[in-house]
Amino acid sequence: MSRPVLRRPEYHKINKDLFVLTYGALVAQLCKDYEKDEDVNKYLDKMGYGIGTRLVEDFLARSCVRRCHSYSEITDIIAQVAFKMYLGITPSVTCNNSSRTEFSLILDKNPLVEFVEELPAGRSSLCYCNLLCGIIRGALEMVHLAADVTFLQDRLKGDRVTEIGITFLKKLDEKKCRRRK
Amino acid sequence: MSRQANRGTESKKMSSELFTLTYGALVTQLCKDYENDEDVNKQLDKIVFSHFLPRGYNIGVRLIEDFLARSNVGRCHDFRETADVIAKVAFKMYLGITPSITNWSPAGDEFSLILENNPLVDFVELPDNHSSLIYSNLLCGVLRGALEMVQMAVEAKFVQDTLKGDGVTEIRMRFIRRIEDNLPAGEE
Repeated sequence: MSRPVLRRPEYHKINKDLFVLTYGALVAQLCKDYEKDEDVNKYLDKMGYGIGTRLVEDFLARSCVRRCHSYSEITDIIAQVAFKMYLGITPSVTCNNSSRTEFSLILDKNPLVEFVEELPAGRSSLCYCNLLCGIIRGALEMVHLAADVTFLQDRLKGDRVTEIGITFLKKLDEKKCRRRK
Repeated sequence: MSRQANRGTESKKMSSELFTLTYGALVTQLCKDYENDEDVNKQLDKIVFSHFLPRGYNIGVRLIEDFLARSNVGRCHDFRETADVIAKVAFKMYLGITPSITNWSPAGDEFSLILENNPLVDFVELPDNHSSLIYSNLLCGVLRGALEMVQMAVEAKFVQDTLKGDGVTEIRMRFIRRIEDNLPAGEE
């Protein structure tokens, strides 16, 4: 018996903990597979990219975002709508350059690391949450925006906050964003 | 120029799609790492979170503390109460669904959880070369690990699976015995 191809899932709100622990298992598995932190980071980013390209459809369908006129609007939506919806947090947004193409998301609390006490010995360069960077990058690409997304600060590495940097790479053409539903 | 910082709020809730996709990534990675489905199933069942905590922990062992703190359920007096709590509180909390409880054994030591809708498998189809994969086997490991921490040794296994063409997904739970010792559990 095969399932209908376009079965629409029900929208479920769940408690985060099972997800957070499963994410930890994913990172742990990648750490078994790859010796170097750089490779784990790269793989997490790549996996995240794949997830982002699919998640964005769900996001656009459910969030009714209006047409965006600037990168700052887009970044605001990522922080206030997408992060809220999928991780239950709302990072703050700062703009890092005068041409308004570089932004930071500051995560005061990062649910992904709730059960992580510290990075293991020998894993000091691991970007534990790198899946998030890939997700943002993949999602943006599906709406025709190229961006570099990386961790600029990481509490797990001793920084005060966790900061994700988003650098938009191409000029935004006028009519690129989703229309209002 | 920076804008007004939004202090940010946090809720314990999230939408399940990110979890569904992340779980898919985990299963995919395990399928790359282990040649046959039986080994993947085993890994999913005992899944450890070992790198990032001082000792290896089955996910269920870690989750139960949070569950008990958050859900305010009291001590269960028998396996029937336990079944109710699993279906109506735990599954609801962590997966957003409420399986039904059926097929009690006459001795009251076995029951089935029927999942009509399993968010872990949204948009998943098993490829032909993974026909023995128990995709959601993590759930069995979580249930077992969690119950072990409340002094119950149980067996949990999938007996029906919509991914394999069955009409529903059914997890069979069997009570083995009460665990008397209070040894730290979960080391795999």
